[in-house]
Amino acid sequence: MIVSYGEILLLAICLFFMGMICVVTRRNLLMILIGVEIMLNAAGIAFVGAALRWHSLDGQAFVLFLMAVAASEVAVGLALIVYAHRHSGTLNGDGYNLMKG
Amino acid sequence: MISFPLLSAIVFWPLAGGLFVLAFWRYPQVGHRIALGAASVELLLVVSLLLLDLHPQGADGWLMIEDLPWIAQYGVRYSLGLDGISLILLCLTALLGVIAILASWEQISQRPGVFYFMLLFTQSAVMGVFLATDLFLFYLFWEMQLIPMLFLVGIWGHEKRIYAALKFFLFNIAGGLLMLAALIGLYLLHGRQTGDYSFALSQLMQTRPAPVLEMWLYGAFLLAFAIKIPIFPLHGWLPDAHTEAPTAGSIILAGLLLKTGAYALLRIAIPLFPGAAHRLMPLLLILGLVGIVYASLVALGQKDMKRLVAYSSIGHMGLIVLGLAVWDSLTLSGAVLQMVNHGITTAALFIMVGMLDERFHTRTLADFGGLWKSMPIFSAFFLLFAMASLGMPGLNNFVSEFLILVGVFRAHPVIGSLAFTTIVLTLIYVLKLVQDTLFGPEKQQHCRDLSFREWIILLTLALAVIANGLYPQPILTLVHGPVQHLIDQAGIITLPEAGSMMAK
Amino acid sequence: MKTTLIILLLAPLLGALYQIIAGSRFPRRLAEVVSCAVILVSFVMATVAFFLPGRPETILLYNWINVDTFSAGMDIHFDALAAIMTLMVTFVSSLITIYSVSYMDQDLDYSRYFAYLNLFVFFMLIIVLADNLLFLFLGWEGVGFCSYALIGFHYQELANARAGRKAFLLTRIGDVGLGIAISLFFVTCHSLSISTINAQAATLSAGTAMTLGFLLFWSATGKSAQLPLLVWLPDAMAGPTPVSALIHAATMVTAGVYLLIRLFPVVSRTPEVLLTIAIVGTVTAFYAACAAMVQKDLKRVLAYSTISQVGYMFLAIGVGDIIGSMFHLLTHAFFKSLLFLAAGAVIHALHDERDISRMGEAVRRHLPVVFLVFLAGSLALGGEPPTAGFFSKGRILLATLQHGGMVYKAVWVGATCTAFLTTLYTFRLFFMVFTGKPAVPHQGFIREVPPLMVWVLWPLALFALFAGFCNLPYLQAGGGWLSRFLATTPGAVPDLQAAPSLEWVVENGDSLLAIVGLILAYFLYGPKNILGWRTADASAGRATALLLSGFGLDRLYATLLVRPYEGISRFLWHTVDESVLDRGLLRSVKMLPLLAGGLQGWTTGLLSTSLKMLVLGFTAFLVFLAF
Repeated sequence: MIVSYGEILLLAICLFFMGMICVVTRRNLLMILIGVEIMLNAAGIAFVGAALRWHSLDGQAFVLFLMAVAASEVAVGLALIVYAHRHSGTLNGDGYNLMKG
Repeated sequence: MISFPLLSAIVFWPLAGGLFVLAFWRYPQVGHRIALGAASVELLLVVSLLLLDLHPQGADGWLMIEDLPWIAQYGVRYSLGLDGISLILLCLTALLGVIAILASWEQISQRPGVFYFMLLFTQSAVMGVFLATDLFLFYLFWEMQLIPMLFLVGIWGHEKRIYAALKFFLFNIAGGLLMLAALIGLYLLHGRQTGDYSFALSQLMQTRPAPVLEMWLYGAFLLAFAIKIPIFPLHGWLPDAHTEAPTAGSIILAGLLLKTGAYALLRIAIPLFPGAAHRLMPLLLILGLVGIVYASLVALGQKDMKRLVAYSSIGHMGLIVLGLAVWDSLTLSGAVLQMVNHGITTAALFIMVGMLDERFHTRTLADFGGLWKSMPIFSAFFLLFAMASLGMPGLNNFVSEFLILVGVFRAHPVIGSLAFTTIVLTLIYVLKLVQDTLFGPEKQQHCRDLSFREWIILLTLALAVIANGLYPQPILTLVHGPVQHLIDQAGIITLPEAGSMMAK
Repeated sequence: MKTTLIILLLAPLLGALYQIIAGSRFPRRLAEVVSCAVILVSFVMATVAFFLPGRPETILLYNWINVDTFSAGMDIHFDALAAIMTLMVTFVSSLITIYSVSYMDQDLDYSRYFAYLNLFVFFMLIIVLADNLLFLFLGWEGVGFCSYALIGFHYQELANARAGRKAFLLTRIGDVGLGIAISLFFVTCHSLSISTINAQAATLSAGTAMTLGFLLFWSATGKSAQLPLLVWLPDAMAGPTPVSALIHAATMVTAGVYLLIRLFPVVSRTPEVLLTIAIVGTVTAFYAACAAMVQKDLKRVLAYSTISQVGYMFLAIGVGDIIGSMFHLLTHAFFKSLLFLAAGAVIHALHDERDISRMGEAVRRHLPVVFLVFLAGSLALGGEPPTAGFFSKGRILLATLQHGGMVYKAVWVGATCTAFLTTLYTFRLFFMVFTGKPAVPHQGFIREVPPLMVWVLWPLALFALFAGFCNLPYLQAGGGWLSRFLATTPGAVPDLQAAPSLEWVVENGDSLLAIVGLILAYFLYGPKNILGWRTADASAGRATALLLSGFGLDRLYATLLVRPYEGISRFLWHTVDESVLDRGLLRSVKMLPLLAGGLQGWTTGLLSTSLKMLVLGFTAFLVFLAF
């Protein structure tokens, strides 16, 4: 292995935190969705690294699942965002407080 | 032993029927027919129980039991048991189920599929409450009743329906949660005492908690059931829920849900904690009496017919509370019979008010008068049910009320005598109801009399009213064994009372 | 015997069922025939049962309620008392049902009327025949209901419906007493059977017997319109006249008397109860006679007179002479229903005119037969010798005088004064209705009275005049036929055993009083209007106005009971139920968010908050796992 598993994990953690910060701080729904994607991909990188480290294909197989989940999530998420935008004309996440109890 | 799980079938058949109705939600014109079919089959199932030659078996005298392990880790069992009391209440439930569907035949136009699903769902839950002998299962059914009822009132109700539905739900869920807490406490206590963790009623009855703890546990159970009955002063939710509910909702509420409260007090709370129950009997006695007088007085002032009937319901349930508080074979038989009778009579009155509402779109007493002229058949039925409600001998309520009153009088002559005034207090508001609607000059435009469907509903109930009034003996015989058994179980309650009475 | 009794009891019920189910579907004539036929069948059966041997007979129809030791069966106890009462009830009700056919001629709602009427007879027969007190209670409440429904028969006049409600309510206040009494009987005697109770009466403790006596008396005051529960009867005259004749004169109002007679061994255990009954009876009799003196409404005069006469029956019970009470009950049933039916004919002829100051000679000219029978009834009610009323009232007065004690002497004086007043108001009524010129002439012509309505009056008139001969006290030793017939009734005293001289004085004194009363009435109210009282306006003077309103008892109850009750009702509803219980609870529910004020900031419902919370939560979870 050219890079050690520790370095790969570091990269994954960095990516995960960048995604998380994106999700928590941004108000735009699109950006939040992108943040979630980044977090998912960080997890994917960790899986691939693990697969290389232990010479097992399970990690790579899981990444395939992850991609499928990410794709469907984006599809549904985007559809919801488009609908929400049509409905209220804003992409600002805090423009919606329907969840208020 | 019968291999076919008849009791489970009785409990879950309405729910299955309801799901079937829901599957046809796209075809509203068939929904009510399917629902009626399902409820009729349920009625047949229950009637088949009556036809089976059942005999009490075992020490607990169940006519029929079903008992399967369910959540083995926690000792939860799926156990249903049938005795005379539950059998007669099952009959009432099944009958009112059919009646409720017939009564909403034309009233419900909005999402009928879902409506009938909710109706049948409640019926399932109520059947479960009447049959469950495992307290965990009982609790599940107990809370299960609330959900469909919440929607029945909240979606298909009248003007203030959301308010009424929430109020109903909050009151009852609060009681339910208290009961759950007490139930878990009792479960743990029992487990610690015997090492056998179980929710079975017969097991938990062996528990002997310390007097103070017993008081708390009983208090929690009592509160839960008192809200449902309802016992004064916890009746706040009832008039609103009744007023706002659609006719079928009122039928289920008055005819069945209130009965589950009284039934649970009778079957569960008092036998579980006989000591605490005995100490709180004076309280129940006073609350029952106050409830009767109070409800009768408040009913007199009502302007809305449905509210009037709702308050009358509180008064009649007060008599049941009195009957339970005295706890002897007369009053308990009377109380069980009163549950059935009150279910029939009050349901009939609610149905009739609903019919007026459908025709004239008002329930205000002042808008009515002289109905007899245009609707003589309706009026005759109305008069009959009103007379039943005020305890006319020969009609159903009289038998049960008199049994309770005589029993109360035997145990506590003064309270019994005071309770006898109920026959005048009830008369006052019932006659007001009758007079303001049927008599006097005609106030509303001429209107058609009963349709065939309405006629069938009322005739069925009227026959039940008269049959129970003139020949209540089958029910009394059916109920006698279980009542005796209950008294034996919680025997220590009456012994001191009876002793002091003999001394007098 | 068994079959006879069962047919006797059930025939009216079948008639009522026919009216309810099919009455208005088939021709009117059929409904009328059926309703008369079933009562006639009852009457025939009553006659047959009367002559059949085998009294007393007890029949259990079936077990009604049976729980542990509490058992109430539907059972019949047919003894001499029940036999004679059944005969009277079925006889009077047959005549009245026949009369009703004509009376209700114009009414479209005939099937409802006949249904109630037949049902009433059924319930009344239950009262008469029942052995079990709970079964009796069924009849007792049943007649109350029928009375309610029939008083308010013309329901479109709200006043009628109100009068019905009032009657139902006041009689039911009495029923509370009966209910408690039944419970007490159950607790003390462990049985509800009247024959068993009577057999055990001697073993009851004095306190229990007294309580029971007062409770029974209380319930009787309601049904029989005695003080203080009498105000419903004058208002009950809102009902159709045959109904007034049947229910409010002959049968239902005497049910209270009958109950006390049936349970006389219990009632007579304590002298206090008897004394109370005697005093209340006399005071009521006097009170009602005074009120009857000034009434202007034909039927109200008769109503007050009914109250007064029933008071005599109570008095008789109070002095322990149940045969006298029963005797007066029977004669009163005949002459009072006769008077009511005749009054009904007059009212019918005058197009529902009930004000006696608008009647006069014209009525007599148009209705000569009615005039004659009314005269017969008046003679009997006024106690003129030798009519039925003279003998029955005479026996009661004699029994009172003979019953020792100063109080009873005072009661006798009161009762005798009342007898004099009775003669006066009876003939005031008679003279004002049938003689002289009306003070305010009746408008419009006088209509024909259907012959059927007149025919049925004859038998009643005969009985009113001659029924007294069935119990002539001083001609035969050991009492008259009725006394001997009823001698087996528990507690009965067939022979008063009065000294012949005393008897002679009382009888002749009564005769004299009655005749003087008649003559005085002629002078006061006769056609010549000699003393001018006839035309005097009754509502003018303060005293007469007071009498007219029955001593303002109605208003007294309205202020003392009805209005406070409604006030409490409103207070409880608005203040207690809505403000305290309901809103108070809501307010406390609203307090909950305040308690959770700190938490409230979290539930913004905004996406960003939720996400932040999510992250924080996960972090906390991971930290927790790490350590």
